Amino acid sequence: MVSIATARIKREFKEVVTSDELTKCKIKLELLNDNFTELKGEIGGPPDTPYEGGTYQLEIKIPETYPFNPPKVRFLTKIWHPNISSVTGAICLDILKDQWAAAMTLRTVLLSLQALLATPEPDDPQDAVVANQYKTNNKIFVKTARHWTNIYAGSTLAAEPEFDSKVKQLIDMGFDNHKSRVALSSHLWNVEHAIESLYN
Amino acid sequence: MVLVEEDRSKSENNSNEKNADNSQYECNICLDTARDAVISLCGHLFCWPCLHKWLETRPNNQTCPVCKSAISKEKVIPLYGRNCTDKKDPRDKVPPRPQGQRTEAPRNNFFGSGLDGLHVSFGIGAFPFSFFASTFNITTENRMPAPAPGSTQYAEEQFLSRIFLIVAIIFIIWILLA
Repeated sequence: MVSIATARIKREFKEVVTSDELTKCKIKLELLNDNFTELKGEIGGPPDTPYEGGTYQLEIKIPETYPFNPPKVRFLTKIWHPNISSVTGAICLDILKDQWAAAMTLRTVLLSLQALLATPEPDDPQDAVVANQYKTNNKIFVKTARHWTNIYAGSTLAAEPEFDSKVKQLIDMGFDNHKSRVALSSHLWNVEHAIESLYN
Repeated sequence: MVLVEEDRSKSENNSNEKNADNSQYECNICLDTARDAVISLCGHLFCWPCLHKWLETRPNNQTCPVCKSAISKEKVIPLYGRNCTDKKDPRDKVPPRPQGQRTEAPRNNFFGSGLDGLHVSFGIGAFPFSFFASTFNITTENRMPAPAPGSTQYAEEQFLSRIFLIVAIIFIIWILLA
């Protein structure tokens, strides 16, 4: 017998693939195995946000109890966002936890994630450092998020050249590329503070 | 030949229309045509087995999977089509979860610490009212779903509430006489 989870994913998959949101909102869904338990999602960064122009890959795991329990979703593409861990890609979103409802679909989950990119919730953070920066140094937050979109999500819009030179400075000192970028991002692009944190 | 072609396109149209029609009657949980259909008071359609499983998944937070309004077994209406041969209430088909034999924790607390509370609040004039409030559980939020009539738990609860009522009446009479 085909489980409810598999039957539903099959139907949802058709729905996403045939909808016109595919092109309009830049939403994609891809199967990774034949039992419909692992999928790859893709969302485009919403316009007028620091994520504009970026493409974000998502790991989607369907539990056996789907749709009675939410799918497990995680960002594969690195992103600087208060509700998404800059390290693991874990997402803090109520509908992926206790606010899940069985009538929600992968399509609505992807759209909700896109909405989350447009409207961060710094008071319910996943990444405390990012959330703090969002609240206290919003200008730097926007620049940093745009920089990450540029480096990791393949955007071609407005790079931050001075950020790149700072990262290069740390790489020249022998630090790892990504670690340097995280350290600089977390310390408001202050090179000395970043180096200090990398040594600790 | 042309006729055959036309026929074929007609039947394709028909099947398309049929599909479009059916999608209105899809269960909001399994996304298939609803079987043993029930409808919530907020107007959302489900297969009863699907909705039952959803309500079972969240016994303490029973909300409509579509609009999140409050929902319960008692607040859904079974749907019977004209050619529906099985006129049995779909809600009777999936057996309700077997009732546990233990009494519910909150009521137990009321029994134990509640009685201690009685001794403390003796001197306060308003005491019987608070007694009533807790006996009849005026705040109904977050209550466990009522046990099905006929089950042992239901009978036990009926018995308990009768005892509480008698005790309350005795206290009131005693206060009036004293």
